[in-house]
Amino acid sequence: MIRVVDLHKWFGQHHVLRGIDLEVQRGEVLVIIGPSGSGKSTLLKCLNFLEEYERGAVYFEDRLVGYRDLKGRRVRDHEANVARVRAEIGMVFQSFNLFPHKTVLENVIEGPLVVKRQSRAAAVEVATALLRKVGLEEKLHAYPSRLSGGQQQRAAIARALAMQPKVMLFDEPTSALDPELVGEVLDVMKKLAGEGMTMLVVTHEMGFAREVADRVLMMDEGVVIEVGPPDQIFRAPKEARTAAFLSKVLH
Amino acid sequence: MVGYTWHFGVVWEYREVFLRGALVTAKLTAGALAIGLVLGLLIGMAKSSRRAWLRVPATTYVELFRATPTLVQLVWIYYSLPILTGVQLGSFVSVTLGLGMNAGAYFAEIFRAGILSIDRGQMDAAKAIGMRHWQAMRRIILPQAVRRMIPPFINETATLVKLTTLGSVLAVYELLHESNNLITNTFRPLEVYTTLALAFFAIIYPIIYLSRWLERAWVARS
Repeated sequence: MIRVVDLHKWFGQHHVLRGIDLEVQRGEVLVIIGPSGSGKSTLLKCLNFLEEYERGAVYFEDRLVGYRDLKGRRVRDHEANVARVRAEIGMVFQSFNLFPHKTVLENVIEGPLVVKRQSRAAAVEVATALLRKVGLEEKLHAYPSRLSGGQQQRAAIARALAMQPKVMLFDEPTSALDPELVGEVLDVMKKLAGEGMTMLVVTHEMGFAREVADRVLMMDEGVVIEVGPPDQIFRAPKEARTAAFLSKVLH
Repeated sequence: MVGYTWHFGVVWEYREVFLRGALVTAKLTAGALAIGLVLGLLIGMAKSSRRAWLRVPATTYVELFRATPTLVQLVWIYYSLPILTGVQLGSFVSVTLGLGMNAGAYFAEIFRAGILSIDRGQMDAAKAIGMRHWQAMRRIILPQAVRRMIPPFINETATLVKLTTLGSVLAVYELLHESNNLITNTFRPLEVYTTLALAFFAIIYPIIYLSRWLERAWVARS
């Protein structure tokens, strides 16, 4: 479903992604771990072209993301095409990024109304069901500033799901939350994984990785250190850097 | 000075002249404001663009208008533009256009700063659900930015009212020009200019007050 080939990304002089190769199958849950600054979030944002990559390729269902071919040369794709790909890829951010001038319900119906051009009635129906699913049926008409961090993040998940994405990207979804609110967000994500959603999750929640991930990917300094099933990564990492990282985060 | 006898009766006699002038001042302001808003929005967006062919001219425009005196801009438009284009604009139209273009440069900065003040995550979130750049601008970024723009925008409007007096140089019959003419008839500069100052205060102070009130009301709410 997602294929990444020799992906490189620079921020000015800084070489953030140094040749990433990766493949994610439909229905798979891939958890990406690694020290901060290792390029995990940047990798995720390259997948839906919120960050441009300079070399290599990202394919979503065999379509090249962000670029097209023009007489043998690779040029930036039309904005409309990039937007179409993004509409099929849900994303959840560390800082929630709900639209503060809209209510929870308005946040969730925004995409279906504006991007999918659904009728308001249909969008509201889907949104209401999604918000019930994430436990926010009481907060439909509340503004984001009135919600706790955990509630905001659950609303943000509902907003992404309203587009009926084929894959969900989670960029450290619980890192900005108070510890007691982490569980409620992880529960929603577990439920989603249980329903067969394809998910890529950047997180420091090792418990979640162990329990939910099909595969765990360890990243450091812009390269993939190793990939494997959670059992193997956590019990018997092949690479010293993985072992060192895990011993730090698992205490 | 001591012992000067004020004769405001003279001013009262000519009150229609002041009203007429105030009307022209209001028209100049309204016209320039409309031009300035449209230009400001376009130029502000162009200045924030990643495309150099939009950004560079927009930046040049803003710098040009901010780094030259407004009066020079007005006389340039009135005297030089006709030579270059062959179109002779009347003095009222010239001044309205000139002030509008001038205001556009300042409004552009207000628009740009307002847009920049919105967290990048908002644009990311809008794009992540598949919105085009302009959709995200219109539905997500601008509605949030406009609120932050309104107080500085109102202050700029107050400045614009003051700048309309420059129209007197090109014989536009706004308040200052009417006052000058009145003085040549009445020989009462003290009364006339005092009334002129009060007239402007009566126009501008409510505008400034509104801006301050809005700012406080919104700070209190957020």
